[in-house]
Formats: sequence, structure tokens, C-alpha cells
Amino acid sequence: MKIRTRLTFWYAAILIVSLIVIGIGTYQEISEQLSHEHRKKIWKHALDETSEMILWVGLPAVILGLLGGWWITRKALAPVTKLASAVEKIHDRNLRAQLPRTGNGDELDRLTEVFNDMTVRLDDSFQRIREFTLHASHELKTPLTVMRGELEMSLRQENLALAEKERLLSQIDEIERLAKIVDGLTLLTKADAGQIKLDFEPVRLDELVRESFADTKILAQPLNIKVNLSACEEVAISGDRHRLRQLLLNLTDNAVKYNQHDGLIDISLRRLAGFAELKITNTGAGVTPEVQARVFERFYRGDASHNHLIEGCGLGLSIAEWIVAAHDGTIQFVSEMNKLTSVTVKFKFS
Amino acid sequence: MRVLVVEDEKKTASFVRKALEGEGFAVDVCHRGDDALVAAMATPFDGIVLDIMLPGRDGVSVLRQLRAQNNSVPVLLLSARGEVSERVEGLNAGADDYLPKPFVIAELVARVRALGRRGAETKSTTLRVADLTLDTILHRAERRGRFFDLTAREFRLLEFLMRSPGRICGRMSIIEKVWDYDFDPGTNLVDVYVRRLREKIDEGFDLKLLHTVRGVGYVLKE
Repeated sequence: MKIRTRLTFWYAAILIVSLIVIGIGTYQEISEQLSHEHRKKIWKHALDETSEMILWVGLPAVILGLLGGWWITRKALAPVTKLASAVEKIHDRNLRAQLPRTGNGDELDRLTEVFNDMTVRLDDSFQRIREFTLHASHELKTPLTVMRGELEMSLRQENLALAEKERLLSQIDEIERLAKIVDGLTLLTKADAGQIKLDFEPVRLDELVRESFADTKILAQPLNIKVNLSACEEVAISGDRHRLRQLLLNLTDNAVKYNQHDGLIDISLRRLAGFAELKITNTGAGVTPEVQARVFERFYRGDASHNHLIEGCGLGLSIAEWIVAAHDGTIQFVSEMNKLTSVTVKFKFS
Repeated sequence: MRVLVVEDEKKTASFVRKALEGEGFAVDVCHRGDDALVAAMATPFDGIVLDIMLPGRDGVSVLRQLRAQNNSVPVLLLSARGEVSERVEGLNAGADDYLPKPFVIAELVARVRALGRRGAETKSTTLRVADLTLDTILHRAERRGRFFDLTAREFRLLEFLMRSPGRICGRMSIIEKVWDYDFDPGTNLVDVYVRRLREKIDEGFDLKLLHTVRGVGYVLKE
């Protein structure tokens, strides 16, 4: 029950009790006054008078009081409602946005002030974590370049034993993998810190999809996967061409990687009311509902025992999610075990 | 050939120097942009390897200053992935080539060597490597009377490889220049395309032209 309803009920009870007290008082007073004239019919007459008074004066007063009470509680609690809806809008990205204060120094104003202080402290902590990852990923880059360079230099030595050469090459492969992870991490942490500026321009999504379709066919060939472009309707959105191509490659590459031999991939781009819908569906093992709920998490790769054979750094879908969000779109991942897995992206267009 | 390497990260500069010296270049190293400008104006280098992010004065500004003084020394820019705008700015300012970071040292060496003989080869419309010819106007690839059916992307890949014959091309530079991706795609896209291209142009010929350099990339040569 809302505070407002509860308060109104209490208020109603108090009013009714006071009405009864007034009624009893009035009854006694009237019976006293009448006692000199008609001794016989006193109680009957007094009762009539009292009930008449209660009915015509008391009840309207109570109703008026109740309405007033309802209004007062509403007025008193309005700041709380406002506060609640303002708090609802807070998430880790806008912690700096302060809740509006009335400035009248009452309890609610004080509460807002305390709350604002708390979000600022939280924002500081978030900021420190973001900066830490940003610096960490940046600091990792140079040593990796140096290590790779030095390994390559060792490879160039003449009369290198074959086993030694193999060892150096496998180290280069590992460094390459590490570099990819660091790259993805840098991109995401930069995005978190708001350091990536997207170049928005009108982009023909259908052209990008067609291009990506051609690449997917080639990527899918070694596994003999059939790729189908079931729809590619002409649609233009305002977006960053590079990032959109990256998104498409990420998604289609996943559709190939997590597929099966002789599998299927279906790509469709449709122009619907007010938005463009890109859907990429693929056959394959699929994921459990628990995994499905977490696919956009960074470094989350689902069933590790099953996926360790698949190359990747576990950041692909996180990057895809960021790109979609940066374009004010939505992305949805739906998978049915051993059936179909589909990713649906929606972009608004003007 | 005397080359100036401008790179603020000392260790990177040191192995670039070692690699170039190993190939017979004379190498000078600078760690700051302003020092590099002074050095380049005082000494006639045959080529400059120039990092974009530098203390003192950034690479693009060094390059612009050099060109403003009619200094036409060939410049190879090094740019971190994602710094597309800086790179475009660099090319507009008169850079001859660029290499995305992290680069493969073998590719860097090959490109520095190519800086010396820049010009004629890149502008030609008919490219030739051994018996393979590519007509960039008619979009036609031919080997001993056999014409190959290439997709647009395969054509661009072949053209890119043929424009630097005998030079190692790293995966990242192929991705950047053939696909125009400014990010690591995290896929084996390049390898799959190269495999397909190889099937087309090398299958049935004794002389193989498209070679893999493990851990580095690909090279088109006799």
C-alpha cells in the first residue's frame, strides 16, 4: 500500500472518531437545552437533531477533510515520487548527473543531497577503474611490440635449428593473440572513457551488408557452410562506416566460427516501420540459456571446454554491443541448443 | 642508404635500428619530433621512418615542415591502429607510405628498401610478376594465356601484392589496404582469401608465385 493511501486511511479514521466525539457532545448539549420544555420526548428529539446535524454538517465536513487530506499527502509526497523517478534514470554512465534539489532544507532535500554525494563518490570509483584498465591496456602494447620485434630478429639469425625456429614461431603466434586481446580491450576501455569519436554520416546499410555477405561466403567455404542473403532492402542510417563494417564482420565471423560442417547462415536486412532490422542466423551447437544471458559480457566465452578450440578473444560480442549502442540501436542474441542461433540488430533511421 | 628512424619508444627504436643495420642500412635514431626535424634538415637522408605520436613535435607536423622546405626525402609513417585521421593527414602532408603498428619488422625493412625506388612501379597500369600480368584498367589477370575470374576483393588483393613484388606484406597491412579496416578483424579473412587466390593463380603452374611467410604474412615473387 502506498504511503499516501495509508496516511489517508489514518486520517479518515481520526476524522470519524472526532465526528463521533462531536456527535456525542452535541447530543448531550441539545438534550440539556431541551430538558426544560418537553421532558417526555427529550431523547427522541435530541437524537433526531444530532443525527440531522451529523448528516448535513458533519459528513460533508468529513468528506471535505478527506479530500483535503488526500491532497495534502499528495503534495507532501510529490518530491519523493519525483526523487524516485529521477533515481530510476541513474546508471553507471551518468552518475555525475545530479538529482534536482528543492533547496528548502527539509528532510527530502537533505536526502537528495546525501544521495548526490553518494553518486559522485561512486562515479569517482568507476572512473578510477576505467582509467586503470585504459592505462593497463595501453601499457601492455609497447612491450608486446618490442617482444614481437625481438623474436623476429632472432628468427632472422642464420643457421637456426628447425626446432628452435618452430619455438620462436609459436611464441610469435602467442604474442599475436595477446596483442589481439589487448587491442580489443583498448578499444572497449577507450569507448568506456568516451575517448572514441564516431564519424557519423549517411551510410547505406544494404551496401555494407552485401559486401559483408561476399566476405562471409568466402569465410564459410572451408567448412562448406551455405550462406544465404534472404533480404537486403535499401536502407540508409546515420552511422560510422568503419564501426558498422566492424560490427558486420564480428557478427558474420561468429556465425561461421560457431557453426558446423555443411551448416547454414542466413543474413537479412529489412526496412521496417522507423527502423532497419539486420538479422544473422546460423546453425551450430548453440548455447544454454545461462550462457545466452551473458554473451555480451567481456571475456565471457561460455562453455570453456567446448569453445577452447575456437579462435577468438571473447570480446567480439562486447564490441558489437558497444557499436550498436553507440548508434542508438538494440542488439538481441537468441539461441536454441543444437538448432538456430540468431543475432538481431535494430537501428532507427530518420 | 642512410635512414633516420624517429620513434620515441627506445626499445622499439633499438630493434628497428638493429634490423635495418642487419640489412646494410646506415641508421640514425631520434626519439623526439623536434630533434628529428633538425636532423633531417642537416643531413640528406635516403629515407625517414617516422612515428606519428612523438614528444616535442608530432610526426605529421615534422613531415609538413619538411615538405614546406621543399625537402622531398621519402617518408614512411608509423601509425597506431585506429589513428585513421592522423594517417590520412600524414598522407596528405606528403608521406610516401605508411605502416600500421604493431608492425612486422620484415615488412618494415622491405618497405624502407622500397622507399628508395618509389615512383615508376606504383603508377603503372599493367603489373607484371614473372609470367603473371594484371591489367588494372581492364581488371584482368592473366598467366600464360589463361585468364582468371577474380572477385573485386581478390583483384584488389592481387593488385596490392603485385605492387610490392618480392616484398613481404603483413596481415595487418593487407587488412588495412585491401579491406580498408582500421581494426584487427580477429578472423582469418586474409588467410582464406589468399588461399583462394592461390588456388586460382598458382594451381596447375609449376612456378608458384604466392608464398606464405609464417608468422608474418605473404609475399608474391618468383
